[in-house]
Amino acid sequence: MAHWFHRNPLKATAPVSFNFYGVAASPAANKICNDLKMTRARLLEMFTDLTCTPEIMKNATDAYFSLLQGFIASLDGTTQENKMRFFQNFKWTDTLQGNTPSAQQDAVFELCSMGFNVALWHTKFASRLTGKENITEPEAKEVHKSLKTAAGIFKHLKDAYIPRLITPAEKGRDLETRVIDTFIVQCQAEAQEVTIARAIELKHNASLIAALAFETANFYQKADHTLNTLEPDYSGKWRKYLQLKQHFYMAYAYCYHGQTLLASDKCGEAIRSLQEAEKCYSRAEALCKEYRQTKGPGSTAKPSEQVFFLKLGGLIKNTLEKCQRENGFIYFHKVPAEAPQLELKASYGLAEPIAFEFPPLSDQCTPQTYSTFDLTRGSKDDKAKPKQEEEVKPVKEPDLKPQKDTGCAIS
Amino acid sequence: PAIPEGMPSDSRTNKDGVLVDEFGLPQIPAT
Repeated sequence: MAHWFHRNPLKATAPVSFNFYGVAASPAANKICNDLKMTRARLLEMFTDLTCTPEIMKNATDAYFSLLQGFIASLDGTTQENKMRFFQNFKWTDTLQGNTPSAQQDAVFELCSMGFNVALWHTKFASRLTGKENITEPEAKEVHKSLKTAAGIFKHLKDAYIPRLITPAEKGRDLETRVIDTFIVQCQAEAQEVTIARAIELKHNASLIAALAFETANFYQKADHTLNTLEPDYSGKWRKYLQLKQHFYMAYAYCYHGQTLLASDKCGEAIRSLQEAEKCYSRAEALCKEYRQTKGPGSTAKPSEQVFFLKLGGLIKNTLEKCQRENGFIYFHKVPAEAPQLELKASYGLAEPIAFEFPPLSDQCTPQTYSTFDLTRGSKDDKAKPKQEEEVKPVKEPDLKPQKDTGCAIS
Repeated sequence: PAIPEGMPSDSRTNKDGVLVDEFGLPQIPAT
């Protein structure tokens, strides 16, 4: 299943030294600054380290965030903002906006941006796992879990931290509602794709598969519509991916709904449903081509080359032929002009985001140490000197190595 | 965060009381 999922690039950031000169006025305060620099650099390394596992990522994430929260949480027992929150400038690029960074002098912006990248890493980890030959059941569970974890992180940032930003994100930036909402829904839909593959493999009943495929198609449609007010030059490619997946899963829904109709002797309606599946499948094939030809950020998936994609074409054809044969011999039903209205509700397999919480504050961040950060001792000279603009280099991401596709047997 | 109710690999039930696996699919496929 290599190249099954479209992935936008990781966010890039300028290095942060956390050199607070005279401000960190105690050894403990200095240690916090040094550890922040070190844990941040390590976390950034982990994003592109192919040997990184979710457990290693969690350790690296907790190490940095438990310290960074010392610049966000209230440490002096008042309801006022943490005095360190607005001290350090942070620069981050956005997944859809190339190398032009956004900058904010706000630790909450850093928390949101870094958290966003952690979520992206989980989606990429899932994508890499699906690229393996003969994916095993534990691996399928890991893919499913990673996608729900990513959705949970995006959701937590959206609900709890993005509203705290003083400067709201501009249109098309990652922390803007439309973009983050799309990521959340895409992760849920992709997790459900894993469940659909498993349901087919385990031969669950057709109505269950049809309902889950229909809801998944709706998720993709919702994600696509969320982006429709953004500029096509940076959102167009992503939207084509969401559209092709929507049509692909509608084809699945009509195909399996057709099987359900046939099983209840509604052969004419079954034929019409299968014909609609054929239509959706052809549209998905066309969208695959359009997607590959559309320029835009992100790695290009090749879903139409996958066995899972190709198998559906054959399944629709065979099921339709079977229905037509049976209609010619047994039922003699009229085929309706209108395709059946799918009003399917999935009772099984819907993927909910896994609730995410940031780690507790580091033991290093005590009120005593906090009181030794003295903002009045900031070097004036240093602030007066216009610093040379730090360049934000794009993240060099490891390539997805395509492997022989075996059709992703998840059982 | 809420305290997890069981081990990750434990079987669980959905809102209708049906035993489901970790993907939320019924434990016994009803074909």
